[in-house]
Amino acid sequence: MTTKVTGAVLIVGGGIASIQAALDLANSGYYVYMIEKTPSIGGVMSQLDKTFPTNDCSMCIMSPKLVEVGRHLNIELVTLANIEDIRGEEGNFEVDVFQKARYVDMTKCIACGACAEKCPKKVDDEYNMNLVKRKAIYVPYPQAVPLKYAIDAKNCIKLTKGKCGNCEKNCPAGAINYEDTDKRFTLTVGSIIFSTGFKTYDPSGKLPYFYDNNPDVVTSIEFERLLSASGPNKGHLIRISDHVEPKKIAWLQCVGSRDTNTCKNSHCSSVCCMYAIKQAIIAKEHEPSLECTIFYMDMRTHGKGFENCYNEAREKYGIKFSRIRVHSVYPGSGEEKGQVIHYMDEDSGKPVEERFDIVVLSVGMEIPDEVKALSDKTGIDLTPNGFCKTDSFDPVSTTRKGIYVCGAFQGPKDIPQSVIEAGSAAMKAGAALTGSRNTLTKKIVTPVEIPVSGQRPRVGVFVCHCGINIGSVINVPAVRDYAKTLPFVEYVADNLYSCSQDTQDNITRLIKEQNLNRIIVAACTPRTHDPLFQETLMNAGVNKYLFEMVNIRNHGSWVHKDFPVESTEKAKDLVRMAVAKVVQAEPLQEAELSIDQNALVIGGGISGMAAAKALSSQGYHVTIAEREARLGGNANSLYKTAKGESIKDGLEKMVAEVKNDTRIDVCLNTEIDHVEGFVGSFDTTLKTTDKTETIRHGVAIIATGAAESKPTEYLYGRDKRVITGLELDKRMREGDAGLKTLKTAVFIQCVGSREPARPYCSRICCTHSVASALHLKEINPDMKIFILYRDIRTYGEKENLYQEARGKGVIFIRYDVNNKPKVTSSEDSLFVEVDDHILKRPIKISADLLNLASAIVPYRDERLAQFFKVPMNDDGFFVEAHVKLAPSDFATDGVFMCGLSHYPKPIDESIAQAQAAASSATRLLSQKTINTSGTIAVSNIAYCTSCGVCVSICPYNAPSFIVEGRNAGKAEINPVLCKGCGACVASCRSGALHLKGFEESQIMAMIDAA
Amino acid sequence: MMTDALTIDKDWKRGFRETILSKLPEGANLNYCLTCGACASGCPASGLHDMDPRKYIRMIALGLDDELYKHPWVWLCSMCKRCTYVCPMNIDISALVYEGRNLWPREERPRGILGSCDMALRNSSGSAMGTPEDEFQFVVEDVLEEVHETQPEWKDLKAPVNKQGAHFFLSQNSREPVTEPEEMVPLWKILHIVGADWTYSTRGWGGENYCMFLAHDDSWKAVTTNTLQSAMDLGCKVYLNTECGHSTFSVWMGQKRFGIKTNLEIAPMVKYYAQWMREGKLNVNPDWNKELKVKFTVQDPCNQIRKSFSDALAEDLRFVVKACVGEDNFVDMVPNRSNNYCCGGGGGYLQCGYNDERIQYGTIKKDQIIATKADYCITPCHNCHDQIHKLSDHFEAGYHTIHLWTLIALSLGILAENERAYLGDDLMEVNLPASTIEEE
Repeated sequence: MTTKVTGAVLIVGGGIASIQAALDLANSGYYVYMIEKTPSIGGVMSQLDKTFPTNDCSMCIMSPKLVEVGRHLNIELVTLANIEDIRGEEGNFEVDVFQKARYVDMTKCIACGACAEKCPKKVDDEYNMNLVKRKAIYVPYPQAVPLKYAIDAKNCIKLTKGKCGNCEKNCPAGAINYEDTDKRFTLTVGSIIFSTGFKTYDPSGKLPYFYDNNPDVVTSIEFERLLSASGPNKGHLIRISDHVEPKKIAWLQCVGSRDTNTCKNSHCSSVCCMYAIKQAIIAKEHEPSLECTIFYMDMRTHGKGFENCYNEAREKYGIKFSRIRVHSVYPGSGEEKGQVIHYMDEDSGKPVEERFDIVVLSVGMEIPDEVKALSDKTGIDLTPNGFCKTDSFDPVSTTRKGIYVCGAFQGPKDIPQSVIEAGSAAMKAGAALTGSRNTLTKKIVTPVEIPVSGQRPRVGVFVCHCGINIGSVINVPAVRDYAKTLPFVEYVADNLYSCSQDTQDNITRLIKEQNLNRIIVAACTPRTHDPLFQETLMNAGVNKYLFEMVNIRNHGSWVHKDFPVESTEKAKDLVRMAVAKVVQAEPLQEAELSIDQNALVIGGGISGMAAAKALSSQGYHVTIAEREARLGGNANSLYKTAKGESIKDGLEKMVAEVKNDTRIDVCLNTEIDHVEGFVGSFDTTLKTTDKTETIRHGVAIIATGAAESKPTEYLYGRDKRVITGLELDKRMREGDAGLKTLKTAVFIQCVGSREPARPYCSRICCTHSVASALHLKEINPDMKIFILYRDIRTYGEKENLYQEARGKGVIFIRYDVNNKPKVTSSEDSLFVEVDDHILKRPIKISADLLNLASAIVPYRDERLAQFFKVPMNDDGFFVEAHVKLAPSDFATDGVFMCGLSHYPKPIDESIAQAQAAASSATRLLSQKTINTSGTIAVSNIAYCTSCGVCVSICPYNAPSFIVEGRNAGKAEINPVLCKGCGACVASCRSGALHLKGFEESQIMAMIDAA
Repeated sequence: MMTDALTIDKDWKRGFRETILSKLPEGANLNYCLTCGACASGCPASGLHDMDPRKYIRMIALGLDDELYKHPWVWLCSMCKRCTYVCPMNIDISALVYEGRNLWPREERPRGILGSCDMALRNSSGSAMGTPEDEFQFVVEDVLEEVHETQPEWKDLKAPVNKQGAHFFLSQNSREPVTEPEEMVPLWKILHIVGADWTYSTRGWGGENYCMFLAHDDSWKAVTTNTLQSAMDLGCKVYLNTECGHSTFSVWMGQKRFGIKTNLEIAPMVKYYAQWMREGKLNVNPDWNKELKVKFTVQDPCNQIRKSFSDALAEDLRFVVKACVGEDNFVDMVPNRSNNYCCGGGGGYLQCGYNDERIQYGTIKKDQIIATKADYCITPCHNCHDQIHKLSDHFEAGYHTIHLWTLIALSLGILAENERAYLGDDLMEVNLPASTIEEE
């Protein structure tokens, strides 16, 4: 009775959300088409210099993903293309694609760049925000994927006037094809994901910004290019008009956001506060004497680690934050150049005039008109702000069945949230097609490994400039030339970006051509880049353990940036040591593990249930362990979502679905008693009041949630008129008639958040209080409501609620953390005293309800963290594998997280993360087997004295005594459990243990070479 | 500053806020204030009497009605709407100030404004200076006669009054007929050259409206209705406003605000100058300034640009001025166009009696003009003209202030000696009409 579905997914867009979704799907058994309108993928993230809050180099963390997509057998990139129409329905869509001619044969182009070099036509370079010129034949950026040139037909002299033809004459590969034509074709896919991203607000023509024809007023995305090593000034920060180094830079926040007058964008763009802080910090790092001022309305640092970053920006970097929206910017007169800004000084309350060398407009996010038109045509509903309309309980489904959404098109958001949604959308898109999993995918064939044992080592050394990350400090050619002098080194080279796809392909080719059998890459960190280079070795038929990475960036150019000579010498030393080590390396083999196809979800709240449902929808069996007597967690107390949906209804539906799902077992009143095992085969003992049971599962998802803290101030607990947000929700949920009789309600925000003892922002309370105020206004429009806040953080489209609340007469009063409101009470009334932030005079409010927006605190479950060997941060939230690109994964294989235990977040974001965690888990489960690492300890039984130190010291229980036979009593290592940490090796007093890949001889050789 | 605690209890009343919310469309968006401070940051009246637009809004929102009652700041705000121009919530602060003026008993409002309004109401001429219909007609005819006598090449010049069926109805600010009648002549000449079919009227000729500044709706409406009705009765097609910002705005906005039915096009003078130039009817020549290189800047009148006809008119203004003085001799103030600073002549400032505050308010404008290094500031608005002229005198800034008609006539070589009252010595004898030179 089921109709056959197509096991392929089409993804519209080529940014980071699209990339993540594509990888999730392609690695879970689906064929993926990526439709990208430009010649290459990468999107806005590829244009960024660094990413907040960790200030990781954007391209450095993104490049491995770009390369993986570019190489993936089951991802087909359709560039220079857009969608014209979508026919059919979920499971079997027919998608009409229009693809512009590239005029370059992608199968022939070797990306040598000879064409662009000889091209006489210069045009604005969009990748660099038109700050510089590119040629009419071009690749958007050096690490672009696919790294294939394209002719910009509008500007090509040959194509427009029939003259020139230089590129064809100079192309050594014969790749130029002026006869190429635009194409229309139809793709058949089962699901579609819209991850079309955003465009930045264009301030052109807006007089107050004086942006037109004024090079010293730039948009934030332009400034990002100015900061970037690959940008127009190679990362050297200058004032464009005269190339003088700036002394003062100003950022103006909310340009094209939270504004319904000079533009029509009522939403908050969510990311601008953080990127402005990031840019200011980077600018200060470029030049510590620089004065940076950020002019803002509300500082919205509501994400994980953001508030710390904001505090550091002020306290450590001395960045000035001026809470004012400036009226205008204009070029000052007189000899001295500079942009004039008039503003009201917050402290003095007086008008001030100040000059800045550069003014950065923190431009907001908008949905491009063509995306709105396509949505309209294909039946996808949008919000009034033009973003994709979604339901809080189904946050990545569009209004057309079978079409999903993720990234900024779903609503303004940052990279981690986009990546989370990408996982979520991939999960949903795949779940609809499980019947056709692996029907359209191609199998990866790894070349047969070339035996190297007994051969003389032939070492290849590749030294990376990493743009200017390394090259600006370390003399890379000198390191390269030095490497050539080392024993066994047969080949050396340096690359601008060793991780770009063309360099990777080049390395593979060179390994074969030069018969290299040991490889060194001196570049960045193996934490992110080891797998990439190892794959390159495998592609060349070389065992991936015949490889060493030397981190001359983190350990060299970054930490010793003021010592170029010494860090160059250090790089040489490190390379010499690595060569000494790698020549002794032997090929290692990996054990194959089968993955148990069951999953455990710890926590039965919204996140846990969503994760379980998601895994079940992919066909996997799930056990939910919930410590309470019922499912639902905090949602049992909550009233409505920010979009106004009833949480009670949503929860009831979810609980029913979970209970009726035959693939989901629910264990209530259950604690985790013990965990053994590892990815693919965990054995977890679940304990209830009357029984214990051990279940086997291949993966685990931690969704243990968090709780509302109990306030210790503002008379909470001493006067029953003082309640928390959750308590008010309960009363509204129960339809408490007493609420109607309230005359005056006061909300106090940041109760227990953003203070030294608990420095993070709890993210959801501003929206929650504003929504609650609106509910109270609905109950009684005459109720006087005051919200006392520090910064209103109704990010994204939640800003509309803030606007609605003001419109309905809710009064917002900002207080200073050093001058908090004072609450007293009498029998008749509560009294809240606060200073008005504008009039600077005291206000005494007589109230009959005081709602405290209390902090969200994690459970800090150390035992659970120990069981699964997962880390927690200082605040007690679990720490993800990578803040930006792996926000739902742990560094520990097979364990994932979602919901409040990761960081406070609303229901829609929790569900998205649950689905993303499920998507990551599915990626693993669908492979059925995984390989463990080859770098593991082994025991030489002949030397073992059966002392047992290794058995007791190993955190993973890998060593054990042989029970029977000739060697009974001696220690052996279970290769599957061993993580290669080396603790046992170091502790073995008889020298029986050694670590593959870190043999004593190798270490000694390194030390000798040091 | 008052530091008394504001008590919010059962008896908390916010009468002024209620008035605004019920009376103004969308409550002028008052409730939506983000307290962001963009308004206060760009307002020349910020800091005067320890007030600024944001504080003013906040006082309304918090119900400080007693302190708002008869607050002098409402007269120090020129209602230029530079605040609203950037307000992210589009709060009409000038409307709040207008209502704030209404918190003053009518008879206690500044005498200069009140007197001028009442004068206009008493006269069917609509003249704020009280010049009655017949006296205006006499002056016009008298001046015309003198032109015919002293400038023979202009013997055909006309200044029609009450001409039935004329295309343009031209309003006339009272200042010229009363104190400097020869200043009317350059405009007549321009209209003559382009062949415009125009007329003055005796009824409602007064091109000013102090009742709008007084914030008295009935009075504003009466003055505007009178002049529009006069134009309609004459069967005119275009209500052409003389170079006067507030008067243009009062008619343009008054017609909308009070729903006065009319098919008249209500147009500012500058738009037609530009149109006639583009049509080749007004062939100004900047050659007189080729060697002299006298520098000019313009003031964008808030009432005509930001508040009504926007940047398109600002472009027209520049087009006209550049054509007259040469592209290279024009220097723009920054900021400009719709984002221009008010000079401090608007909103009835010149008549409200707060002269020290007005000068302080105008400091920004004075500095802006000085920064251009221009010798002349062109003001196609009477109140701008008066204030900017006064600022130059007060600060001894050294620039001259002229109407646009003076410049156009100069560039056409038709500006007679006695029509050069506002020109400096440098231009007193430049490009004089041929006849004048012959006489000498």
